[in-house]
Amino acid sequence: MAWVFLLVAGCVAIVAARRLFFGYAAPAQPLAALRLGEYAVVQAAANAVYPPGGALEASGEQARVGAYADRYLQALPARTSTLMRLLFFAVEHGTLVFAAPGPGGRRRFSSLATEQQVALLESWRTSRFFPLRLIFTSLRAILTMGYFASPEVLRPLRLAPYAIETPVREADLLFPGIGQSRASIRHTAADVAASRETSATPLDPDGPLHPRFRERT
Amino acid sequence: MTPPAGDVRVFADYQGDFTEEADVVVVGSGPCGAVVAKELACAGARVVLLEEGPPFTPDDFELDGALSMARTMREGGLRATRGYVMPTMQAMALGGGSLVNSAICVRAPESVFARWSEGFALEHTTRAELDPHYDAVSEFLGIAPTPENVQGRRNLLFKQGCDALGISSESIARNVRGCRGSGECFTGCRSRAKQSMDLSYIPAAIRAGARVLTSVQAQEVLHEGDRAKGVVGQVVEPLTGRTSYRFRVNAKIVVLAAGVMATPVLLQKSGNLANRSGQVGENLQFHPGVAIMGIFPERVEPQFGATQGYQSLHYIEEGFKLETLWAPPGVLAVRLPGFGRELKDRLAELPYSAVWDAIASCHRSLGSVRARRRGLDPLLTYRLDPEDVKIMNRALWVLAEIFFAAGAKKILPGVHGMPDEIFSLKEAEVLRDRPLKPTDIVTAGNHVFCTTRMHGDPDRGVVDEDGKCHDLENLYIADTGIFPQCTGVNPMLTGMALAHRTSGRIAEHL
Repeated sequence: MAWVFLLVAGCVAIVAARRLFFGYAAPAQPLAALRLGEYAVVQAAANAVYPPGGALEASGEQARVGAYADRYLQALPARTSTLMRLLFFAVEHGTLVFAAPGPGGRRRFSSLATEQQVALLESWRTSRFFPLRLIFTSLRAILTMGYFASPEVLRPLRLAPYAIETPVREADLLFPGIGQSRASIRHTAADVAASRETSATPLDPDGPLHPRFRERT
Repeated sequence: MTPPAGDVRVFADYQGDFTEEADVVVVGSGPCGAVVAKELACAGARVVLLEEGPPFTPDDFELDGALSMARTMREGGLRATRGYVMPTMQAMALGGGSLVNSAICVRAPESVFARWSEGFALEHTTRAELDPHYDAVSEFLGIAPTPENVQGRRNLLFKQGCDALGISSESIARNVRGCRGSGECFTGCRSRAKQSMDLSYIPAAIRAGARVLTSVQAQEVLHEGDRAKGVVGQVVEPLTGRTSYRFRVNAKIVVLAAGVMATPVLLQKSGNLANRSGQVGENLQFHPGVAIMGIFPERVEPQFGATQGYQSLHYIEEGFKLETLWAPPGVLAVRLPGFGRELKDRLAELPYSAVWDAIASCHRSLGSVRARRRGLDPLLTYRLDPEDVKIMNRALWVLAEIFFAAGAKKILPGVHGMPDEIFSLKEAEVLRDRPLKPTDIVTAGNHVFCTTRMHGDPDRGVVDEDGKCHDLENLYIADTGIFPQCTGVNPMLTGMALAHRTSGRIAEHL
């Protein structure tokens, strides 16, 4: 009997390993924090929520939401990033419990057809079961943050940050930037005095954008 | 006593374990701790101010909302309560929450102090008693109403809607000098206009001789009998949170200003200190906030103008305050309903949008703060009382009224079970008539209170009216945890006024 049990357990392990680890394509850029499966679920969900075309041209993929999620996960403390990974896992493999409509609805989320992904996420959004709504809200929050980090999305809406001249204050003589020593402080009392002269005029809507958000020519 | 020259230490300065001697050690450099440090340094005390976070320069600010929170907030800005799941935040930076708040400064109304006095045996905590302290802080920070030229259309539309309905409203007073209306308060003011503590009180404290130690985590309050002896902890690497060298500060007086969610944890980790009343970590209260987005026929250009420039205190006795709001677009867009092209159509309307919110005075809804076995991040539980949900129900309806009175063509309430979009006041009546469940609403717990509450009776509170712990001779608390109840208005200024009063009392004992 033991060998039957071992055989079944072995088969289950192989199926689980295939579902969890294999069949994910590597992204164009190396990942700092996300695993391949996590990147796949973020990209798939981003394209389901933000398809190409429409009032805003960029798709989730074009807005590089996956790369954003990678950067975000890297910035989070360990315990919080673990929760984030659990969220991605729940979305990717939640189909085992909450199957997507249509054939093959129990495949992992990133392997579903786009229409199935959309239908599944919509059913979670409107679910009467609060935890499912919470999963949906959390996932879409990350995707939306990522989408709106893209200059290609913000520029056409005129919502990209503007270039702002930063005056020098007394604090700039006391505190260096993060990770730097106080020897790195280059400002002087004269800079503080000069900054005091500058007047506070409202931002010019036609003024230049922050360099990171300017259109590349 | 002659104070030594002030000093600053950042992470790069620490080369090994160290010990400091002080008259007063202040844990936490947020608005309340910064006031205590400055006032006592000016009074001639040898002050050491401890801050776990690093100083942020404008080059360190992250313009993206989520990444900014990941850098400046504990738990990456993703802290949430259990029970009723609600996001809440605690800053970890020199200057604390003042670095990333919208600088709103409101004096609590008389009625709040009357409730406190009656319910918590607080004879001397009246508005009249606190006014001189409010005045001192206001003068130092240059608190003034937001000028018209940086209001932006988003804020002025709110006033227009209120005026049309006969609802009183006012320009928000803020600790800002020379605002340019960039709407970037929540990610750090690149214009250096906001008088956050790192730009105002802390440099003044250093000028007066305070030593400011950044990137150090206080982990335990040392005590012997009924006297606190100082604080021990470890150096923390900015952004990674890795701990290294150990430190100790020996002090005659210890002031905890680590915030509502950290001060009780520190006490619990110090052998359940100052908890004869059993109230440490209890009575957790918030101002849960709800918001509605309105879409107008013409462009609003909501990114221009003070982050929060207008407010209404009209309904304060009903338990809610109304405000205008702007945040990084990605944060606001999170609330928009739908998928795919439909969602993108809505996103394209953001330049035509305004978001207004209500904060609710939920003093029936209570929770607790507990230390986890490891680390200083708290375990928060919270229950939203159905009676308090009714306040939010009512606030949503009033916001809808104001939007349509201001000329909005539709509103997006963001409430589960309600229409995604509402096109008229008649349709909006559903917000008034359909009772909501707590889980129907997307809220955020922005202001936090009461976990080390002030009470005249030592058996029912943690500190007295001076902020001194009932159980110890020389341990004080100066943060909004000492509020006996939530205020219904933004608490920073009241916290600072109480901290100012506490400083005076401490100075008398030095």
